[in-house]
Amino acid sequence: MRPRVAAAAGGAIALLVALGACTKNTGEGASVDTERQQTGVIATDPKDSMGPAPAVDGAQAGGTFTVIRETPISHLDPQRTYSFAGLMAAPLFARFLTTWKDDGKGNLVLVGDLAETPGSNVNDDCKVWEFKIKDGVKFEDGRPVTAKEIAYGIARSFDPDLSGGPTYLQEWLADTPQYDTRWDFKANRSALPPGLTTPDDRTLRFEFAKPRCDLPFAVSLPATAPLPPDKDTGVNLGNAPFSSGPYKVTRYQAGVEIVMERNEHWDPDTDPVRHQYPDRFVWSFGPTPDAAANRVIADNGADQSALSWNYVPASLVARVAGDAALRPRTVLSPTPSANQLVINNQRVTDLKVRQALNYAVDREGLVKVLGGQNIAAPMTTLMPSATIGYQAYDAYPAGPNGDPEKARELLGGQTPELVLGAADSSVEQQVATQLKGNLERAGFKITIRNIPDDAKLEEIKKKDNPWDLYLGSWAADWPSGASILPVLYDGRSIKAEGNSNQAYFNDPAINAEFDRILTLSPAEQGPEWAKLDERIMKEHAPVVPLYVDVAYLVHGSKAGGVFVSSVFGYPSFVNAHLKP
Amino acid sequence: MSLSPVDGAALAEIESGGAAGAEAGVSRERRIVGRSPGQLAWLRLRRDRTALVSGAMLVLFVLVALAAPLIELAYGIGPRDQFQSKLDGFGMPLGYAGGVSGDHFFGLEPGLGRDIFIRLVHGLRTSLFIAFAAAVLTAVIGVVLGTLAGYLGGWLDAVVNWITDLTLALPFLVIALALTPTLTLRFYGQRDAVPPAFGIGVLIAIFAVFGWTSTARLVRGQVIALREREFVEAARASGAGLGHMLFRQLLPNTWAPILVSFSLAVPQFITSEAALSFIGVGLTEETPSFGRMIYQSLDYLQTDPAFVFFPGVTIFALVFAFNLFGDALRDALDPKSSR
Amino acid sequence: MARFLVKRTLSAVLTLFAVSMLTFLMFFALPRDPVSGMCPKNCNPERLERVRQELGLRDPLVSQYAGYMKGIVTGRDLGSAQGGRCDAPCLGWSYVNNEAVTDTLARVLPVTASIVIPAAILWLLLGVGLGMVSALRRGTWLDRAAIGFSLTGASLQLYFVGAVLLLVFVYTLRWLPVPGYTSLFEDPVRWASGLVLAWVSLAFLFSAIYARLFRAQMLETLSEDFVRTARAKGLSRTRVYGRHALRAAITPVVTVAGLDVGAALGGTVITETTFGIQGLGRTAVEAVRAGDLPTIMATVLVAAVFVVLANVLVDLLYAAIDPRVRLG
Repeated sequence: MRPRVAAAAGGAIALLVALGACTKNTGEGASVDTERQQTGVIATDPKDSMGPAPAVDGAQAGGTFTVIRETPISHLDPQRTYSFAGLMAAPLFARFLTTWKDDGKGNLVLVGDLAETPGSNVNDDCKVWEFKIKDGVKFEDGRPVTAKEIAYGIARSFDPDLSGGPTYLQEWLADTPQYDTRWDFKANRSALPPGLTTPDDRTLRFEFAKPRCDLPFAVSLPATAPLPPDKDTGVNLGNAPFSSGPYKVTRYQAGVEIVMERNEHWDPDTDPVRHQYPDRFVWSFGPTPDAAANRVIADNGADQSALSWNYVPASLVARVAGDAALRPRTVLSPTPSANQLVINNQRVTDLKVRQALNYAVDREGLVKVLGGQNIAAPMTTLMPSATIGYQAYDAYPAGPNGDPEKARELLGGQTPELVLGAADSSVEQQVATQLKGNLERAGFKITIRNIPDDAKLEEIKKKDNPWDLYLGSWAADWPSGASILPVLYDGRSIKAEGNSNQAYFNDPAINAEFDRILTLSPAEQGPEWAKLDERIMKEHAPVVPLYVDVAYLVHGSKAGGVFVSSVFGYPSFVNAHLKP
Repeated sequence: MSLSPVDGAALAEIESGGAAGAEAGVSRERRIVGRSPGQLAWLRLRRDRTALVSGAMLVLFVLVALAAPLIELAYGIGPRDQFQSKLDGFGMPLGYAGGVSGDHFFGLEPGLGRDIFIRLVHGLRTSLFIAFAAAVLTAVIGVVLGTLAGYLGGWLDAVVNWITDLTLALPFLVIALALTPTLTLRFYGQRDAVPPAFGIGVLIAIFAVFGWTSTARLVRGQVIALREREFVEAARASGAGLGHMLFRQLLPNTWAPILVSFSLAVPQFITSEAALSFIGVGLTEETPSFGRMIYQSLDYLQTDPAFVFFPGVTIFALVFAFNLFGDALRDALDPKSSR
Repeated sequence: MARFLVKRTLSAVLTLFAVSMLTFLMFFALPRDPVSGMCPKNCNPERLERVRQELGLRDPLVSQYAGYMKGIVTGRDLGSAQGGRCDAPCLGWSYVNNEAVTDTLARVLPVTASIVIPAAILWLLLGVGLGMVSALRRGTWLDRAAIGFSLTGASLQLYFVGAVLLLVFVYTLRWLPVPGYTSLFEDPVRWASGLVLAWVSLAFLFSAIYARLFRAQMLETLSEDFVRTARAKGLSRTRVYGRHALRAAITPVVTVAGLDVGAALGGTVITETTFGIQGLGRTAVEAVRAGDLPTIMATVLVAAVFVVLANVLVDLLYAAIDPRVRLG
């Protein structure tokens, strides 16, 4: 009797699971527009920085827009914001000195946000910058925003208690990475850091010791959000930020939910990019990316006006892409997040070996492992295509599946034994397994050494890390080569730990090029970075470029206006609205 | 940190059934033939159809696991071979039911495109080895500590009891999660290849450290009950040493419940290995294991149900067979049962 | 009785102490640095080192441990980067969650309790009911069906059952909302509908085991002398089975249930992960991954408290139910 029960139970499961198994997969896919180019310019006409933002077609006011995400946003303090979720949420409740006018299709213009223009380069040497603050910008209590509050916001980011945010402004103003020893915020709360002044209520002035031509980009980060000193609650500001944007935080349940409602003191006429369509935004935390995607696909009740923050997981891509009815509810766009097989240049010193690695990799197979072209798009350059001035090239043409023969030839009979350090997360383990297969096919001997997932980043940032290869990724803070190439490949910045130059690549000639290009005006830099990109790859091959992440989002049938930010690669909410 | 519900319940179950088994002796058999309790149990087991079927299934599983290299040879595909050309642009297997074909009996994994059948065969080998080794170790630790505590009593009993309580109060999952990388670093340099055997060993050790408590409690209870029996007192009175008392007098009379507890522990460790993979502890990608396969397949329930189906049904059948057999074994060892 | 309680309490406190010490030691042996995670992009070593010193991570282990334990009893001052004064019972400040750990606990404990307690009621009722039916109708098809059910349940894994239930009832049939936690006091209907799948799958797996256990106990009890005596005295079947036999047979079930519930309250990692609900278990696992020591310590200690408490309670309950047990 009992075996029969077993058979029955097994049969029931079989039936359930096999329900979807009877269709033949013949393999048809979609395509992603990965070769589009960023137009990225800095607005010169002050009209571009004026509000209101053009109305979104078909958008209407009202309703609750929900964002579902697995991990909570750790805090909403603009000066400490650096995570993608934080960066994309911040524009809802905070305004910055400058911001990106972005259509999600590659048309990108840097405009003034609180400032009337994206800054004026006073002496044309990038050392002195001035920003004129707009008239009529207000906080959530109706007080006007002046240069003083913006300056105070920048000043408080010097406080070591409030770490976690970007450090460009602090380091540039103090002219040292040890900015918190140079100027102590806690002891000088009523003063401003060196080089930062407010000649009058509507003028903010930066004076740097060195040329900082990227300043207009750097002040587009949330760290330039204004804050009146009497509203500074220290570490607790993360739970209740003081709004200057179209929404204000009305409910903050750590780890569970954040509710933002309209801020009636926000004036659309001063704002070139934001809208205020939904009555409220709700950020709901907890469901795994799988659960969130399934929930949004199911399109039930309140989920009709929801967006799953995370990209559609690899396991569900085929289901979502294969359902024509879902097409209007998805957003597909390449992102600026570039992934490489980083070569530790301190250990792998033979250029031929590094070039052989570049030839050996099978990018098409890798994309399959990751879940297809809706998840990843192959790349052969150091900078992602979303960078201003990007030029496509392939320094080591090996076809979509790699060229093991060419790699063997370069190795000339030797069998380099390399250790690939890989995080023990599910995805990275699979990628490492795939790469090991590719490289061994070309004559390498690869050992995969696992590193605990959360420790991996800090480990490979240590100069003396023991691995030859590891997977690295970089998402720039603004789409300029200046926030990619010198950050990742300037060997003079290598320190004991906390390195972004994880290839530990150092070449005097390249370093000199960095210095030269960095003093050019932002508009001239673009093509120069693209040339340098190709030169670094051809002459040194410090990494193996693998792929850029592709954003594939799914939202409910009533959610509209969501696009993927060309700067960060995650959903932007400035145009978000609900359909009737 | 409840991982498996089976632990406590299985123990209590065995205590009730098993204690009676040790006590009863030969009573129900009509024809008075001189048979030992062991022979009787064997007879009952042979007559139980369930036991036969589940037993046969288990033998089959063990044979497959043992013969994995031979099967690989005959099948012509290794557990690490990739067939990415048989995947579509999303990395999903082409063809019907997850790529099932004459070449790939159970189809291919999405993404890496490895053969599911041969990975299952090797995974079976890994999982069965871990489960058996862990069950043997826990049984040994549990029997030794349980017998000593039960027989000697006093402070030793108190200490063993306290350690049992402490072990139960320690969070199994959290410790397993934290300990694995630490141990790896302790034994291997950061560039050394960590052999799969090490990961397997760590898993077995973790199971042993946390799994012995139920056996110890069970054996302790049995020994305390036996301690006061006449034949034990007689042996003690005639001056038998500790070793003789433990190995000649006490243990032979507690083997039945230990055996049942062992047979129920094996499937528990098989599922625990899978559960650990679920939270990210366990073997590396390169070692084929049930746990990892099932954990990875679950996400594909909608897009590639066959990928979930084959490993899922295999592990269900394996665990089910063990549970059936354990049940039958208990019935056979319990003279009061009249199935 | 009093002596028993004192002895039991002492041993419990000792256990908790040992748990706290072991956890502390173990996580300091971890190759993780809780500080490096704080600055995602451009960090410099000197600043990191200053933060480490400020957090006391460079103090001797013993004084760090003493400081932590003192915080639980009297509260302590954590410095402005960690939210300032932390009142007793102070469990520290989590950098990862940017909040006091007591706040984290206050948030996730009700979640786990909301999963476990209704599930436990369900699995006990179902388990005892099934076991009862199958014991009283021994050998019939009912008995066999119940055994089949319980063996199936005992052989299935929660993540498997959970995934199938989700696919069928939530994503395909859409009878239920996606699992999630709403406070019982805020909206009881949403509370129940968000957790019912977790209850059902837990109850299915657990009740299977309880049914087998209870059936064995019941059969055992039915063959005992006092039951036969009661029947012989002419008491009705219902009275004998319902009152006397049930009472005797349920004792071991209570023991096991107590321990199971105690362990489950400390975190149902797999259930919480499967259904995407943020309870104690998932919080603990995430804390280990992130090297968030204060949260690890707190979750481990709370879980240990539940297990130890359950142990003591079970002993007391045992005495209350079974008149044969005397505590001494």
